[in-house]
Amino acid sequence: MSETIRYGFYSGCCFQGADARFFDILKDVFAKVDVELELIEDAVCCGSGVIEERSELTSLAVNAKNMAHAEQMGLPLYTPCSTCYNVISNAQKRMKEDPAVHAQVNEILAEQGLEYKGTCKLTHTLWVFAQDVGLEKLKERVTNPLTGLRVASYYGCHTRNPADIQGYESADNPTSLEDILEVLGVQIVEYDTKDDCCGYHLAWPNNDLNMKMTSNVLEGAHTKDVDLMVTSCPLCFKSMDGTQAKALAQTGKNFQLPVLFLPELVGLACGMTSEDMMLKYHGVPVNLRL
Amino acid sequence: MLTYDILIVGSGGAGLYAALESRMEEDLQVGVLTKVYPTRSHTGAAQGGVNAALANLDPTDTWQDHWFDTVKGSDYLADQDAAEIMTREAPMVVREMEHWGCPFSRTDEGKIAQRPFGGASKPRACFSADKVGHVMLHTLYEQGIRHGVNFLNEWQVLSLMHDGQRCQGVTAINTQTGRVHTIQAKAVILATGGHGRIYWTRTSNALGNTGDGTAIAYRAGLPIKDMEFIQFHPTGLRRTGILVSEGARGEGGFLLNGQGERFMSRYAPEKMELGPRDLVSRSCETEVREGRAGPEGEVFLDLTHLGRERILERLPQIRELCIEFEGVDPIEEPIPIKPTAHYSMGGIHTDLNGQTPIEGIYAAGEAGCVSVHGANRLGGNSLLDILIFGRRAGKHALEYARNNSFTPVDTGQEEADAKMIASIMEGESGASIADIRRSMGNLMAEKVGVYRNGKDLESAVSELADLQEQFKMVRIQDKTKAFNTELVAALELKNMLDLAEVVAVGALERNESRGAHTREDHPERDDENWLAHTMATLGDDGRPKLDFSPVTITEFEPKARTY
Amino acid sequence: MIEKITPVRKSILANIRIQRFTPSEHKSAYFDNFKVSVETGMTVLEALRLIKNTQDSSLTFRAFCRSKICGSCAVRVNGKPVLACSTQLMPILEDFKKDSVSIQPLKNMPVLRDLVVDIEPVIEKLSKMHPYLMENRERIPETLEEESIMSKQEHSRFDYITDCILCGSCYSACSAASADPNYAGPLTLGKAYRFSADVRDSFQGERMQAAVDQGLWSCAQCRKCINVCPKDTRPAVSIQRMRKMSIDDGIHDTAGSRRAKAYTGDVAKYGQVNKPMLPVIVNGPKGWAAIEAAENYLKKHGIEPTLQVCTLGGQSSTQKIYDKVKELEAKGENKT
Ligand SMILES: Cc1cc2nc3c(=O)[nH]c(=O)nc-3n(C[C@H](O)[C@H](O)[C@H](O)COP(=O)(O)OP(=O)(O)OC[C@H]3O[C@@H](n4cnc5c(N)ncnc54)[C@H](O)[C@@H]3O)c2cc1C
Ligand code: SF4
Ligand code: SF4
Ligand code: FES
Repeated sequence: MSETIRYGFYSGCCFQGADARFFDILKDVFAKVDVELELIEDAVCCGSGVIEERSELTSLAVNAKNMAHAEQMGLPLYTPCSTCYNVISNAQKRMKEDPAVHAQVNEILAEQGLEYKGTCKLTHTLWVFAQDVGLEKLKERVTNPLTGLRVASYYGCHTRNPADIQGYESADNPTSLEDILEVLGVQIVEYDTKDDCCGYHLAWPNNDLNMKMTSNVLEGAHTKDVDLMVTSCPLCFKSMDGTQAKALAQTGKNFQLPVLFLPELVGLACGMTSEDMMLKYHGVPVNLRL
Repeated sequence: MLTYDILIVGSGGAGLYAALESRMEEDLQVGVLTKVYPTRSHTGAAQGGVNAALANLDPTDTWQDHWFDTVKGSDYLADQDAAEIMTREAPMVVREMEHWGCPFSRTDEGKIAQRPFGGASKPRACFSADKVGHVMLHTLYEQGIRHGVNFLNEWQVLSLMHDGQRCQGVTAINTQTGRVHTIQAKAVILATGGHGRIYWTRTSNALGNTGDGTAIAYRAGLPIKDMEFIQFHPTGLRRTGILVSEGARGEGGFLLNGQGERFMSRYAPEKMELGPRDLVSRSCETEVREGRAGPEGEVFLDLTHLGRERILERLPQIRELCIEFEGVDPIEEPIPIKPTAHYSMGGIHTDLNGQTPIEGIYAAGEAGCVSVHGANRLGGNSLLDILIFGRRAGKHALEYARNNSFTPVDTGQEEADAKMIASIMEGESGASIADIRRSMGNLMAEKVGVYRNGKDLESAVSELADLQEQFKMVRIQDKTKAFNTELVAALELKNMLDLAEVVAVGALERNESRGAHTREDHPERDDENWLAHTMATLGDDGRPKLDFSPVTITEFEPKARTY
Repeated sequence: MIEKITPVRKSILANIRIQRFTPSEHKSAYFDNFKVSVETGMTVLEALRLIKNTQDSSLTFRAFCRSKICGSCAVRVNGKPVLACSTQLMPILEDFKKDSVSIQPLKNMPVLRDLVVDIEPVIEKLSKMHPYLMENRERIPETLEEESIMSKQEHSRFDYITDCILCGSCYSACSAASADPNYAGPLTLGKAYRFSADVRDSFQGERMQAAVDQGLWSCAQCRKCINVCPKDTRPAVSIQRMRKMSIDDGIHDTAGSRRAKAYTGDVAKYGQVNKPMLPVIVNGPKGWAAIEAAENYLKKHGIEPTLQVCTLGGQSSTQKIYDKVKELEAKGENKT
């Protein structure tokens, strides 16, 4: 019944600075649903798509390396970061479609005794909860249903686009996030900017635009009078929470919308406290009547 | 008043190539007026190839071989001097396209790749994967942007104006605003494409391939030629008429009737599904006529026996097309198909320079008829035709416009057209556009389609006259001026009804079978009486008047056409 | 084994909600509902045409080729830009588990009427991108007696983009284009790359500058354009390649190129990006303010800023990957 599910854990680089707390949070929340993470020791940064702007081959090799380690561990590769998920997915697809490139990447990896076979299975928080753990078990573990909470759900882009690389669910009409939220007991609120991009990856090349895009998404949810926004992407979380004040100030808007990273909300519903979830580190204060 | 030295109507391959002829001219104003944005023209739909004897694949290929194939393919109705020009100049225009950036597929040596095509004795169709028309059209448009070609997009031409001798210009409606304008021009080039839509849903053609330019020229008193020749393709999808390319049969697909019989064994026991297009079309049609069709008058192209892997590997695009347009996965079930009207051989009569009998009025492309396709066009020859004669028309118009002044014009036509539109817009009680159009399409497919006979054609002519009467009362619900697509459709329907009549009358008159024109009651080709072009002009009684003119034969004596 | 063929054709009575708007008559857009019996095989375009033919002939939309090649008919169905003519309705009803769909005009372009948008602004942006080939005389002969030679491999660098039908779906889906009216958008940058990657072209420099000026670095790489493109032309990938090309061509003075350099270099050195340093690397001295603010924030929460760059373990091996890639590139053997 309560068998433990194990993953090769690839954290990516999103849990740095104040966000380093998420290593512990994630571990604790997953423990609630019998999930164990085993760190992929010898991993490197996925390059977040930026390395491609210098060398696609390097990017492919780096990501093949990460997958090769997971293959060696015999575990699916789990990453909490949507961009890592996207970049690794794309690498997988690229090498599958072009065997010559795949072979060349393995030639590069051979120097460190590695081979990417192409068998590595890849997953993300959304499907760990919604499919592997399953909604039924998750429901069992919910001890503190968040009834009455009005929530705007936000996937962000990188688990959805491009579609169908891993085939978990329809990219046009994904439901995993809402399915999970429903189990947690919240009320899901539709809003217009749900499919828009927060612009996180413009933070460096065009910060003003990043701020505008983040502000647009937030405003769409805010006008629907929600209590909070929940996102399954740790980078969207940075945009929406960490830079919310700046984004709204720069675009002449004046409100505060608490934003939670999905595992936090799952933790709260499973009986963990605001302290456990270290909510005080949020940029936008989270005062939930729980 | 709007004035251009040269106004090109239509932005398909023919129109754009003509426009680019004047790209370096500073002393002339050239405009391109088009019903849709240029890159949306139907030239983009051509998938297979454009013919030119480059000899990149078969070093023995020559333009003379191409010339002969064209004449033979035309069932000897092509004018051989015109076909000579086209095939001789072909390598040059294809190279020019290439120099402008057209991304043709490549041979191992990095040259333009070529493939074999039906009716061609050597592999000479230059291609770009399955999108040759698309890349040609975009290349022409891109060069048009580069050279600052002046576009009037989403304008629909209504009438052609001349003083009996020389061109005056056109009237046109700006769809976005609904206003009618007079546009004065020394020269007008009609490059408005074909009229496959007279078969309405039974065609591979775009929704707007309604023969506007041809009908307008006809109403302006110009002769239109060989209109009875319409090429049918055997495998159009049941619902939309979209083509399932020959590749599916080449790969081993079966043609089945509703009873599941592989019916080609009745008609071509040797070649079976791989017989020539016209024979296969006729066979499908016979199955339907004799009551062996599927539930909705279709027959089936069956690939299921090829197996999932082979289909995924060899025919992925065809599979995608069936899923997207017909909702049928050919791995799982047979594809429902019907023969579909594909190409209009006939069109506005022109000389070798694309000029009509009125000075300054030109036609090119599928709208025109020089004629190079005669009674049957070869695959890959019409993309070539639009380049060659688009270019020649452009060149000649340039000279003409430079050496002539504007012919005076008043706003009489504009007023008449505005009045005509107002009266269409008043229609409240009659049949809807959709009803008349559907009746026209069904009637044409049944009686002026793959098979024809005197009796059916006679009744077609009289039924078409009824439909024209009905059209006078047509019901229009949308009374808004701006972007009134119902009005656009009404104007198109008017054009189609006129052309459908000419097609039917021509088919009735031509008592022989030649190329794409098959008379059950006159099954043989008759060179003695019918080696002639049909010229239709609008008679005083408002009905088409037919004359016949000789075919130019320079090199190849007519012979039986066997493959 | 001859069997009569009986195709399975389903039919559902569906509610089609269509956004309507005629500027001269309405203050704002509204929805009309139409009941349509949706059959197996029916496309969105067929449903629109059926409604126009039998229920409301003033319904306004564009369509021409009805075979996925002209790009006229793009609309949003349940929010997603699609080509009406190549999108089956039945699977959408099944995917959304509802008997109702909404059809709206594309976003990011002004509506002319109902489902028809004004694409002129996009065409203008495209035109400014020099979307054409300028003859490179080293490749293209002066005379029409000869072809230019271009290898299959050279051709394949850009061939995938020539499928673009200028339908505007990607532009509609692009949040960067919504937020920044000056951003050129995915299809235009895709086209820019198409020509700059063509060995027969000689205009790379000017075009590159045009691309940089019109937002080469304003793409968020959200990859929605890839998802919605009906022709699979992958604009976001072209944008990455164009960025690479611009840096290779020596346009180094953009925040984006500095980021690319930092990421690439850092991953080689540390196995991870040295995020705390990014503000100064990318923005120069004024970046120090951001660094100090970040450190203050950490201090406020009692977190010690760390000096360790890499939280992952593989840094020792990345340099090897880089070296090997360099070696392959030097030999001209890079297969990507
Ligand atoms: C599915 C399909 C596949 C084909 N494949 C091949 C092939 O492989 N090889 C080959 O050689 N040929 C092929 N053909 C035939 C070939 O594509 C056409 O004959 C050719 O493209 C016609 O070009 P055009 O320039 O004459 O007209 P079009 O491209 O049809 O352009 C007509 C232009 O006229 C404009 N227009 C029309 N009416 C008006 C009006 N009233 N006012 C203003 N503007 C107007 C339209 O906007 C359009 O711009 C194919 C045809 C089809 C349908
Ligand atoms: S990837 Fe870039 S161009 Fe494509 S939709 Fe996202 S922001 Fe727009
Ligand atoms: S890139 Fe794709 S979505 Fe964008 S305009 Fe071109 S075909 Fe349409
Ligand atoms: S109508 Fe041409 S792409 Fe849909």
